[in-house]
Amino acid sequence: MILTANILARLVAIVVVGVILQLSFFSQVSLFHVSPDVLPALVVVLGLLGGTLTGAVCGFWVGFLLDCLLIAPLGGASLVLLATGYLAGLFRERFEIHSSLVPPLLCMVLTLFAELGFGAIELMLGIDAPISGLVIRDMLLKSIFAFFLGWAIYVGVRRALRPALVLEPMVRRGRRPTALGA
Amino acid sequence: MYRKQVRRRRAVLALLIVGSFVLLTVTYGQGSDGVQRGVSTIFSPLQDVADRALKPARDLVNWFDETFDAKGDNAQLHDELQVARKEAVGAKTALAENAQLRKLVGLDRSGAIPSGYDPVTGRVIARSPTVWFADVTIDVGSGDGAEVGDPVVNGDGLVGTVAAVTGGSARVTLIADHSSAVSAKIVPSGTQGVMKPSVGDPEDLILDFLDSEKRVGKGQSVVTSGWRGQGIESSYPPNLPIGEVVEASLLQQEAQQQVHVRPYADLRDLDLVQVLTGGSRG
Repeated sequence: MILTANILARLVAIVVVGVILQLSFFSQVSLFHVSPDVLPALVVVLGLLGGTLTGAVCGFWVGFLLDCLLIAPLGGASLVLLATGYLAGLFRERFEIHSSLVPPLLCMVLTLFAELGFGAIELMLGIDAPISGLVIRDMLLKSIFAFFLGWAIYVGVRRALRPALVLEPMVRRGRRPTALGA
Repeated sequence: MYRKQVRRRRAVLALLIVGSFVLLTVTYGQGSDGVQRGVSTIFSPLQDVADRALKPARDLVNWFDETFDAKGDNAQLHDELQVARKEAVGAKTALAENAQLRKLVGLDRSGAIPSGYDPVTGRVIARSPTVWFADVTIDVGSGDGAEVGDPVVNGDGLVGTVAAVTGGSARVTLIADHSSAVSAKIVPSGTQGVMKPSVGDPEDLILDFLDSEKRVGKGQSVVTSGWRGQGIESSYPPNLPIGEVVEASLLQQEAQQQVHVRPYADLRDLDLVQVLTGGSRG
């Protein structure tokens, strides 16, 4: 990704809008008693389009802003989301993205990773209460939501950052010849 | 050139990781600090606008969810249920404490909210996205009189307590959060216990440390006990409705001294809440 002042401003806008939308909309709606979490998917998309450094830095700031707006202890969300963004970037740097299913699938897998990460940090810091089995259902449903939302986020963010992208990550299919050879 | 890039990338990554750990170490277990206050103050108006603008869309999505789950309540019936529930809990509490209250002078417990508290109504403007934290952010802050430790209720009953405040917003730790523990009692029997959550299931609270000699039955109401003694007191005033006992097997009561309680307040769908400001704080 070619970082100019214009692209940096777009990245900041994407991060801010993403966090505000998560807190004001997605966290407050419920589908099958579970609220979607789009922030890991957003960080995954930024990592996929920008690489490890962009993914990690955006993940850190998304987590930081999230913790600030929730007036929660700082650092936990940053740590988890920077790891998520870094892993997405690493995937982009190591593998070719041949299928349009890869970004949403990666959003799904890494959302599950992020939710497990949030849980691990909480467990490390101490949970003095029994844990319901519904936690597993919540994490799995969040991952499935991330598959569908991740696809939309990928399309939107790629369009917003298109001028900065060095390579189109998707391999375009060639036009099939018709019977008349046109 | 490539090596230099790799080195720079690793350095930034290490810096971010160390930064995260430093932030975690410095801020964990404390309230909001200056940075959070600043950021929260800047973004609060934006959140408020987004919250109001997106309310119709939120309501639409939630309507589908509720319809799918056959939970669409009629608004009028819901209001009537709230009133009836308050009256029922109030009556049970009054019966249980009648003997004691006759001896006390000057105590006015006309409703669920005790006197001395000044309720400030607020709206939920943000909610924690992960299942591990049961927190909401409301648009009532220290400017409105809210302070850390103030109880928070809605029309159905106890919701949580204020955990951190800024000028115009506050973080409310819900009673379903893993860090929450509320001293509670069952009415009319008066059996005391500690209400703890079951992480990940906001509709299941556990009333723990019950007296195994006293039997608790399904359908009994649970209210805050609001204890006071030796210079310390509960953060919650007495007799705020919390929930209803939904599972109270004999085995569980004798072996684990606990019963399961469903909260009256729908902790998944909070909109308007009241912060009980001005009371004595523990």
